[in-house]
Amino acid sequence: MKAWLHSVRVLVWKDLLQEWRSRDILTSMLAFAVLSLFIFNYALELSPINRAEIAPGVIWVVMVFAGTLGLNRSFTAEQDQGCFEGLMMAVPDLSAIYFAKLLTNLLMMVFLAVLVIPIYSLLYNQSLFNQAFFGVLILGAWGYSAAGTLIASMTVQTRMRDLLLPVLLFPLLLPVNMAVVKSCGVILGSVAGQDIHGWLNLLLVYDIVVTILSIMVFEYVIQE
Amino acid sequence: MTLQARRISKAYGVQRVLDKLDLSIEAGEVVCLLGPNGAGKTTLIRLLSGLQKADSGEVLWGTQDGNLSVLTLRRSIGLILHQPFLYEHLTGFENLRFYSRLYETGLSDADLRKMLGRVGLGSARPIPVRGYSRGMKQRLTIARALLCDPQILLFDEPYTGLDQQGCGMLNQLLLEEGARDKLVLLTTHELSSIRQVATRFDLLHRGKIAASIPNDGMSLDALQDQYNAVIAAGKSLQKEQA
Repeated sequence: MKAWLHSVRVLVWKDLLQEWRSRDILTSMLAFAVLSLFIFNYALELSPINRAEIAPGVIWVVMVFAGTLGLNRSFTAEQDQGCFEGLMMAVPDLSAIYFAKLLTNLLMMVFLAVLVIPIYSLLYNQSLFNQAFFGVLILGAWGYSAAGTLIASMTVQTRMRDLLLPVLLFPLLLPVNMAVVKSCGVILGSVAGQDIHGWLNLLLVYDIVVTILSIMVFEYVIQE
Repeated sequence: MTLQARRISKAYGVQRVLDKLDLSIEAGEVVCLLGPNGAGKTTLIRLLSGLQKADSGEVLWGTQDGNLSVLTLRRSIGLILHQPFLYEHLTGFENLRFYSRLYETGLSDADLRKMLGRVGLGSARPIPVRGYSRGMKQRLTIARALLCDPQILLFDEPYTGLDQQGCGMLNQLLLEEGARDKLVLLTTHELSSIRQVATRFDLLHRGKIAASIPNDGMSLDALQDQYNAVIAAGKSLQKEQA
């Protein structure tokens, strides 16, 4: 277990250093997110009341679509230079590669949320600085990264990876999408009369189940 | 450390690349696998490294303590394939440090710099690997493969991109590793270089080891003649069967 954790830490550090140097993932994610927010702002000319209702949906949709760009690129460095095989030879357990990528993708999503929320608040003149709202976004980002990292590890080996990733991933994300948008709606007060606990439980169970399942099947996915 | 590969077969679709191949290597041997393009040399290296599975047959890596599991085996192999396994945005030193930490070698920064010096990159500027020439990347790849002090060296075309000095450096390293009872299997078309270090030449043809020639100091021409004879014999047999 100690060796496994050590490998995860080393892999995450390498991914972050690599990203800091190249800025491949963050640049594409942020550019897409900011542009999407601008387009939503002009396309949906909403009254102040309606703005509260659509905030969770807009934020989450922007994060999911921008995150897909990041997921697509998260395995590219490994694939392009054959590093995936280098890692397979070096780690004590192959699941360490998956968990490290999950953490890196999650960090990217959190960083994205930290930047998207103030931009949204500025454009839509609506404050979203709410700890519970941010907490739900992180839980959603965990589920998204857990499923997305596994699917990206499969699609990166195909020629049509840019198309295949969203086609395979988005249906799997249905429970996360619903839970995040509904929970955030309750927190921001735009959805009345709904129990947030049910949605949060769904989100938590999804995160745990998908993470464990992915760790279990990752070895077979990358070896076949 | 010993390698026993028994009746391994591998096909890609209808194309059979390896056909019930048998191979045996002992510690301290430096075996050079020769064969024309498409003979299955890279496939064999990948199968032996555990990165790929054979359709049938078995590969046994034995130590004094018994046979190794796949994961233990992988961490005991220094592997060079066509791709360098290097991160383009990290410097050569950072790449080595990353792999060193992953392998938990416990090497210090000074040890890693010494390793860079061993492959002739000691005075290279600390620039990202994407600025390296092909030969520099190959030197770094060799350092990366030797980093964990592996018991087994599987090198696929290790002379690619190396200049004369680089070939000499690699030969020296192979001699040193062989002398330390490492098991070395490599593929190359650089007969003049490998002739100086190999203890045995195995000729891979039509999915099998067609001939095994001990290196008893034979001349380059003699080796080339034997190689051509095996290939020609294989081709005439192929025609007869057709």
